[in-house]
Amino acid sequence: MKINRLPELQRREFLRRSSALGLAGVAAPWALSLAGIGEAAAATAPGDYKALVCVFLYGGNDYGNTLVPYDQPSYAAYAAIRQALATPQAQLAATALTTAQNLGGRQMALAPQLGKLKSLWDAGKLGVQLNVGTLIQPTTLRQYNDKSVPLPPKLFSHNDQQSVWQSSSPEGATTGWGGRMGDLFLGANGTSTFTCINASGNAVFMSGQQAVQYQVSTSGAVPINAITKPLYGSQACADALRGLITAAGRSHWMEAELNRVVTRSVAAQSTVGSALAALPPLATAFDTTSSLSNQLLMVAKLIAARQALGATRQVFFVSIGGFDLHDFLVAQHPGLLTAVDSALASFHAATVELGVDSQVTTFTASDFGRTLASNGDGADHGWGSHHFVLGGAVKGGQYWGTLPSVSVNGPDDVGQGRLLPTTGVDQLAATLATWMGVSATDLPRVLPQIVNYGRRDMAYF
Amino acid sequence: MHPPAPVAEAAAPAVDPGFDPTLTGAAAAAAASLLSACGGGGSAAAPAPGPAPASPPPIGDADAARFLAQAGFSASAADIATVKANGYAAWLDAQFAMPVANGHFDWMVANGYAVDAHRNDFGGADNTLWRKLMSAPDSLRQRVVLALSEIFVISMAGLPVSWRGFAVAAYVDMLEQRAFGTYRELLEAVSLSCGMGAYLNMRGNQKGDPKTGRQPDENYAREVLQLLSIGLYQLNADGTPKLDASGKPQETYSQTDITNLAQILTGWDFDGASTTDPSFMKKPMVNNAARFTPGAKKVLNVDVPATADGPAALKIVLDTLAGHANVGPFLGRQLIQRLVASNPSPAYVARVAAVWADNGAGVRGDLKAVIKAVLLDAEARTASSAPGAGKLREPLQRFIQWGRTFGVASPGGQWPIGDTSSAASRLGQSPLRSPTVFNFFRPGYVPPNSVLGTNAVTAPEFQLCNESTVAGYLNFLQGAIANGIGDVKPVYTAELALSGDATGLVADLALRLGGGGISAATQATIATAVATISASTDAGKLNRVQAAILMLMACPEYQVQK
Repeated sequence: MKINRLPELQRREFLRRSSALGLAGVAAPWALSLAGIGEAAAATAPGDYKALVCVFLYGGNDYGNTLVPYDQPSYAAYAAIRQALATPQAQLAATALTTAQNLGGRQMALAPQLGKLKSLWDAGKLGVQLNVGTLIQPTTLRQYNDKSVPLPPKLFSHNDQQSVWQSSSPEGATTGWGGRMGDLFLGANGTSTFTCINASGNAVFMSGQQAVQYQVSTSGAVPINAITKPLYGSQACADALRGLITAAGRSHWMEAELNRVVTRSVAAQSTVGSALAALPPLATAFDTTSSLSNQLLMVAKLIAARQALGATRQVFFVSIGGFDLHDFLVAQHPGLLTAVDSALASFHAATVELGVDSQVTTFTASDFGRTLASNGDGADHGWGSHHFVLGGAVKGGQYWGTLPSVSVNGPDDVGQGRLLPTTGVDQLAATLATWMGVSATDLPRVLPQIVNYGRRDMAYF
Repeated sequence: MHPPAPVAEAAAPAVDPGFDPTLTGAAAAAAASLLSACGGGGSAAAPAPGPAPASPPPIGDADAARFLAQAGFSASAADIATVKANGYAAWLDAQFAMPVANGHFDWMVANGYAVDAHRNDFGGADNTLWRKLMSAPDSLRQRVVLALSEIFVISMAGLPVSWRGFAVAAYVDMLEQRAFGTYRELLEAVSLSCGMGAYLNMRGNQKGDPKTGRQPDENYAREVLQLLSIGLYQLNADGTPKLDASGKPQETYSQTDITNLAQILTGWDFDGASTTDPSFMKKPMVNNAARFTPGAKKVLNVDVPATADGPAALKIVLDTLAGHANVGPFLGRQLIQRLVASNPSPAYVARVAAVWADNGAGVRGDLKAVIKAVLLDAEARTASSAPGAGKLREPLQRFIQWGRTFGVASPGGQWPIGDTSSAASRLGQSPLRSPTVFNFFRPGYVPPNSVLGTNAVTAPEFQLCNESTVAGYLNFLQGAIANGIGDVKPVYTAELALSGDATGLVADLALRLGGGGISAATQATIATAVATISASTDAGKLNRVQAAILMLMACPEYQVQK
């Protein structure tokens, strides 16, 4: 509607992007719709800001020992199935969750290592999405067994299910729903580079049709010394080098892409470097021995610098690996959960300190859940899992979705306690995208499979 | 701590879930155009099985350097002369004949790492890996072993067992010993290695227990199928997917196959584990009959009779996998990607797969013949000007090339280069430190939002290429060029002798580093800048050499090996 309200430069950049999108072969209504969204976001009041943070638990988090059955009958079933993997019931008392919801007499507890998340649950800032996983459409156990509905490709395979979680397609996808959301926000952000920021490497989640994931290290943007200072004493060499590694228009595709990354690195570094340097230090403590905490600390700093970065809508990605615990589950899983607990709690506290806790929502994701059945020292690849949603805007202290039974070959699993998801990733994603400002009309552009679901809002907010 | 690395990746259009995008029509077309683009002499137009043309054209300096970068890590003046005089095949034969020597395990013992203080860390492992990557004379074997370590992945990021450093050392020793044997032997050695046993949990895997509901561990069963042998989809001999009547690719196995295979792969454990002596890490795992699943079983529709004990059942599994038609195109294509090019044409893959199926003497999976077929193929030997040709050199390849080109040594003998995984300050990659079994990068990765994506061109190494790593690499290299790393120092004697002539210096370095891929225009740009540094002092001469090396190893024409 009011695209001319955008500052002229921003408007031109926005139109350039829209037209580039059209040239890329996407239908015109898409570009028009993009214009509407970009403008709607841009037209809101100064200070308007929202960020979504995906915390990916690589390897497939063990749902069984993350959210543990606690009432006596459920715990007994859990302990019988898990055998040596079971967390002793006495260790769960401090993290048993209370809720006003009717769970039919059942009660769950967080893992003992998740004490800080328990406090956030009690404070109403954190909730649990039960049994969510990759689906193409709502699927019953009978439909699964009869193969009467389409199922996600390559279930139980790490790389493919990571990709399906992040993009709705198996390995080979080039856009994810974080990036596709970013496409809608590019126009509203002063600098499109900072729309989708990955502090952990490379994930398809963050790539859109146009949105490019900007990858930042935990120490910030890394300057290229050889072009920012004289090279071995020679300014002429530094200048020549800068020309060689940032030249546009190289005809070889790989050379062109390499130079494009370098060019983006150089341009973003000067912006990020000065923006971060100007920040007052954060008072909130982070565990700087933990990679995940360091990643989230960098995200907090970038959020603090949002105005200097020209950002009003941002998607962030951080990750922690090591969850593929076929063995050593009892020995290693608690340490991983401790890292998640500490990092999420510090990050939330930092958003409170920055006064943006209601504008930042954080959620966990993972390849898949694991089997409830034990293989002796660990558990195998599963499907559905439980995940956290955290933030000041979240109506926490409650569960969303359906609590599965504690069983093997029961009504809710496809064997060995591999949960058949009762909530699709698309439904989780749609809820988050809607909160970010994606309209109902645009939702299928971000999440093509959402049209298969009647319920598109899981009521996290 | 560096950030946990990415595992997810992507390849081509997301329109057809289940389809391997590396093999789309667009990719095939791009590869085909690549093939036709390199057909200057017409040899590429006739994709007959077999290596180079009968009467090869004379080999030039750039041809030799280019070959040496694919078959090894670096090209010295002497190497170039040898290849020119004797030909490519003779150089390979000489390399094949070199003995496996100075093993990693023995070095770690000899250097005092087999002590209790290192029982639960990787002390010595990085040292010995760098030692051989940087200095072992059998450069073909070292290059192939690095490639194999990125296909048959174990990693220091996931070996929580006692004597873990020795598990890595013994595993790489095993890869060195098996690299030029058969795939069947390699797959057996990998499967029974303590390193893989600990990494993907076949070690300790036991039969299910109906009373407790305990199930066999599926980890190795799944990954040996998906990554180490046949892959997800049935392939034609040229690596393209076999499509069913409705045009969909056909899966090679189901979850049921994995569950069945997990039952077969039970009963294995270390042979004589010890808290005082790591030597059991060198021995293949042994089968404990009491923990092996009894009864008749199946692997991919092949019967495993109830009479087969653990080792006999494993033999059926390995024979079945090694005999599967997918293995040649699936793994042959990946070897091409590691050594030569990210987007081999289907015809090139087919030629390599044909040698995989039969080395000419009736032997299947002869890796020596396969490596020859990969490196001597017309598509490998002809520099292409196609825009998707070649590959981004992976960070390790660039750094090892630097070390070998400039003769680095470690006077203290400890090669203290360490873990180079930091994306922000080192290489973003380190030997035997992949974040997961899916390697640092995937064979089908296509950078999103790029001209590569638009053209559906795979570029695996780009999975490690981002705003942080491009800067981290250059900063790390700049420091190494000037100061070395610890006592690992370069020697620039030959280059200093050339430093008075900037143009000559740059030309010499461009040949050895870039193998003919660095254009005259880029060389002129670099030489002009280098010439502004006065060569009247020793310091100036050194600055000229160092600046020339860094600019060459930074420029895109070098980083993309063509």
